Amino acid sequence: MTHRDPPAAGPRKLGIDAGAFVAAFTASPTPMVLTDPRLADNPIVWANDAFLALTGYAWEDLDGRNCRMLQGADTDPRAVRRLREAVRVGRPIEIELVNYRKDGTSFWNGMTVAPVRDATGRIVHFYSAQADMTGKYRHEVAMRDANDELERRVAEQTADLRAALEQKTALLHEVDHRVKNNLQVISSLMLLKARRTPRGEVRDALQGMAERVGALSTVHRMLYSTGDVTRFDLREFAEDFVSELVAGIDNERTAVSAEIDSIAVSAAMAAPLALMLHELATNAVRHAFPDSRAGRITITAQRSDEGLRMLIQDDGIGLAGGKPNPAGFGRSLVEMVVRQLRGVIVWSDVAPGTRVEITVPLDAVSLRTGTERVAEAEWTTR
Amino acid sequence: MTSPALRVLVVEDEVLIALELECLLDELGHDVVGVAGSSAEAIALGIATAPDVAFVDIHLVDGPTGVEVARALSADPHTTVVFMTANAKRIPDDFAGAMGVIAKPYSERVVAGALRYVADLRAGRAATIEGLDGFRLAIRDGAEPRYLSEE
Repeated sequence: MTHRDPPAAGPRKLGIDAGAFVAAFTASPTPMVLTDPRLADNPIVWANDAFLALTGYAWEDLDGRNCRMLQGADTDPRAVRRLREAVRVGRPIEIELVNYRKDGTSFWNGMTVAPVRDATGRIVHFYSAQADMTGKYRHEVAMRDANDELERRVAEQTADLRAALEQKTALLHEVDHRVKNNLQVISSLMLLKARRTPRGEVRDALQGMAERVGALSTVHRMLYSTGDVTRFDLREFAEDFVSELVAGIDNERTAVSAEIDSIAVSAAMAAPLALMLHELATNAVRHAFPDSRAGRITITAQRSDEGLRMLIQDDGIGLAGGKPNPAGFGRSLVEMVVRQLRGVIVWSDVAPGTRVEITVPLDAVSLRTGTERVAEAEWTTR
Repeated sequence: MTSPALRVLVVEDEVLIALELECLLDELGHDVVGVAGSSAEAIALGIATAPDVAFVDIHLVDGPTGVEVARALSADPHTTVVFMTANAKRIPDDFAGAMGVIAKPYSERVVAGALRYVADLRAGRAATIEGLDGFRLAIRDGAEPRYLSEE
């Protein structure tokens, strides 16, 4: 083995001769090979037993041949180019590429190739140590396959879930459509009957019922037109409701004002609250101002520590001033609804007028995100 | 009401709703020129009567064909189509030529308000849909509705 002068602490100083190195390298379990670039086509001039075992070749097969004999169809030409360039300029390189054994089987060969220089600095050999990386590659491929499989399964399940959600949404729309249509039919039925009924108590009752259905209808329309079907905004309802109320007042002497905070209430509370507000306000309009008496009705609703606090007040004739109320049904309806909502209602004569104060606790759904507005109407995002 | 009577075609397969709507329109001083429950009937009546306004439900006897009806009726520039449906999600983005939609369940006030709006536009008056929560206009690339440009 030709060698430049070894470093100060090298084998000669340690008293080890070159023969010992040859013996050590020959017996090493690491496959090693040595080429001589001074000879034509940089042929193999030495290889150890481990290299023979790795490649399956006998020494006679390798002797004097270029290492490219190990390359084959699956060897990446780019890796070969990098290797060739490193050898050309005499630069050490670490590289992995596909090599072929004598029997034609391939393996991933992870190698280091380094120039060996003589005392004058001339490159006299290239030394290369190899390692079979096939196991590592197989592992990587297995990992990649496993990942692909996992991704495929996740995608499949996501698609399943999406399909289930779409089905659920379609069903919800269908039910929503039916509910709204039926509400329209119910209200049409009552109004048709009212139109064919002579003026009087029965006709008023029919119209009153149609209006109550109308209040419930408004709730339904609002619930399902927003993105969030679990809650609705009390203020939005109140605005619509006050418009209806004002439109229903024949005279100009009754003023209605409403101050309703934007409060998200659960779907479960929406219908009873709407019925209650409708009942109280309609009652005030109908009964507080007899004989063309002028007056004002104020409706307020706010969040409070106890929950939702609503106040309906008028400056009309008061509770005591009214004749025995034929619409006593209205009052008991309100009390039933407040009881259902586990709330408290206080009626008082405030001279002039009537004041009704209701406090109801808000349920968990209503309290979910406090007072912020429920999701924007789906419309606006179309 | 100072607006002249509008000639209205009602396209609605639910007989009770159609009948009540007829009564309401009559009460509001408008003329109902016909009631259709199917798309073929609606299109034929549209051609025969050339209504000022057509209220069109999406779901008719022959399926969700209200959209087609709206497209056919609005081909006549004289006719203003307004959807009247509980299924607004079925309305295509271009509204099939309709001016807007009244959401079911509607109140009489909203129907009256929507007709007042249409009448105002046709008369070249300023029109507003403020306070009519159940009535929404088609969004046409930010453009004003058809008659407003004639002001």
